[in-house]
Amino acid sequence: MGIVRFIVKRLISMIITISVVLAVSFLMMHYSPNSFFSSTTLASGMGNLQFQDPKLYQQYITMFENRYGMNKPIYDQVLSYVWNSLTFNFGNSFENPTMPIMTQLKESLPISIELSLGSVILAVIIGLPLGVLAALYRNSWIDSLLTTFSMIGQAIPAFVFAVILVLLFGVVWPGVVPINGWGTFADAILPTIALCVGNIGVVTRYMRGSLIESMRQDYIRTAKAKGVPYWPLVWKHGIRNSLTAMVTVIGPTFAFTVVGTVWVENIFSIPGLGTLMSGAFVNDDIPLAITSVFILSLMVMGVNLLVDLSYALMDPRVKLEA
Amino acid sequence: MAVVMTNVAATKRKKRSQWGLAFRRYRRNKLAVFGLIWVALFLLIGVIGPYIAPYNYQTANFLAANSPPSLAHIFGTDNLGHDMFSEIIWSVQNALEIAFGATLVSFLIGIVLGMWAGLRGGLADLIIMRLVDSMFAIPTYFLDLILVVSFGRGMGPILLAIGITGWASYARLIRSQVLSMRNSDMVEAARSLGASQTQIAWRYVLPNVMNSMVVALAFGIPGDLTVMAGLSVVGMGLRPPLPSFGNMLAQSGVNVLGYPWLMYFPAIVFAITLLSFLFVADGLQEALNPKG
Repeated sequence: MGIVRFIVKRLISMIITISVVLAVSFLMMHYSPNSFFSSTTLASGMGNLQFQDPKLYQQYITMFENRYGMNKPIYDQVLSYVWNSLTFNFGNSFENPTMPIMTQLKESLPISIELSLGSVILAVIIGLPLGVLAALYRNSWIDSLLTTFSMIGQAIPAFVFAVILVLLFGVVWPGVVPINGWGTFADAILPTIALCVGNIGVVTRYMRGSLIESMRQDYIRTAKAKGVPYWPLVWKHGIRNSLTAMVTVIGPTFAFTVVGTVWVENIFSIPGLGTLMSGAFVNDDIPLAITSVFILSLMVMGVNLLVDLSYALMDPRVKLEA
Repeated sequence: MAVVMTNVAATKRKKRSQWGLAFRRYRRNKLAVFGLIWVALFLLIGVIGPYIAPYNYQTANFLAANSPPSLAHIFGTDNLGHDMFSEIIWSVQNALEIAFGATLVSFLIGIVLGMWAGLRGGLADLIIMRLVDSMFAIPTYFLDLILVVSFGRGMGPILLAIGITGWASYARLIRSQVLSMRNSDMVEAARSLGASQTQIAWRYVLPNVMNSMVVALAFGIPGDLTVMAGLSVVGMGLRPPLPSFGNMLAQSGVNVLGYPWLMYFPAIVFAITLLSFLFVADGLQEALNPKG
């Protein structure tokens, strides 16, 4: 299959998937038992108004519904919402009627991208050599140490690491690195570590398995037999071949990290998209909640597409199939 | 003499049963044994927890709020005066109910769809696999959030929300296993003897994919535990009077500087629990699929 055709097919299936998700999410949130009015700080003020001046309250509700098109039939709302989202016209959130969601995204999304991409890249940089080490010294103490550590990293989710780090640097060694906020380089250290640990585990474990597998191949034996020295053998024939398989693990890892970013941002109070998103969900702010799910999912899908493409480019045996 | 001989033969044969062999392989993995002990303890606390917890999760002693660990409250108390030790014991029960329930729901959906896709093939296969692909395309955690908004934040709703979104990996695994089984001699023989599709599915295919199912389930439970606590981190987990590890972890972050004990105990117990479940899963994988 040609590469252009592959990309077009993938984009079409991406659009279909995301449209269905948008429509279902909108419907589910629309028919949820809670509404924006019953669950926010706004609602507590409005609650009083409801008894003090029912007329004004009704007027406010009508205004609000007109503003967000909530008086239209539901199919109209769903279709226009999906279309607007697909054309990146997100409108305003319930909570911030004057600030477009796009403006909020412009401030918060770069932070989330920085955190998630940064920690994946860092994890690859650290995890690859560790995986090679574990594979080359297979069944030694260093291998079992690394394997155990990578298992621990994989088992414990990012928010538990984040909590433990807050405990360490907030209580045991206070003042070494900041434990919340965002802005300076130092602020990024703990969140990145919390996100990284699991990914390093994944990369190490996968690289180990992949390198052991390629060192077992016949061409390695042939190369060894014709006298290729040890390190060139490992580098040229072993590692380079297992790197192509390594690429496939980046996709799931990134998806995992995006979710982790949402958690870690909440714990370290970083003003990224994850914090925005959790606030929106807690307050039943339908437009902002679904938009943040949309943007984060789009990020994951985009990276997965890139991963599949680069896999095919790196390994000519791989056939692109959408 | 003869009696002794048969006894020896009987014990020998007994030891060679598939599960017995698997158990012996399992026992060699020390971490897996440790994990199993912790998980068993966890299960026990989940069942008898409400009877051994020193306080009810709803009793709040405001006069003892935020008190450090002491004899009366061995893990301390939180800002409303809830005893942390009791909170942890009660959350074990909630965590177990949701994790096991959600895994069961996903597993049932996955097994039906996976077997259907694998055995029927054709259009059904195409549609189901498309569905699986789209479930993999988007982090299911986001779908969980939306389902929780719509269902509510009680035990049942969260269980369902996590269960409904988690089936894709089971379906894919079962389908691939079924596909490799479908053309085997055994299934062919059954089919030529006139077995129906359902009979083939339940009598021949299912018992043979059981091993990988057990392993997949063992990996699924800690995954669902993580998702459940992760929902609390963004404020969409179990509604607060109900204790859960996620809530304790999420709230402790606010008070960590003043009251660090609110964080130690839930974080440590939760981390060891997740690790133990993973050790068990890993041990099972080694024991049940010695080749792979």
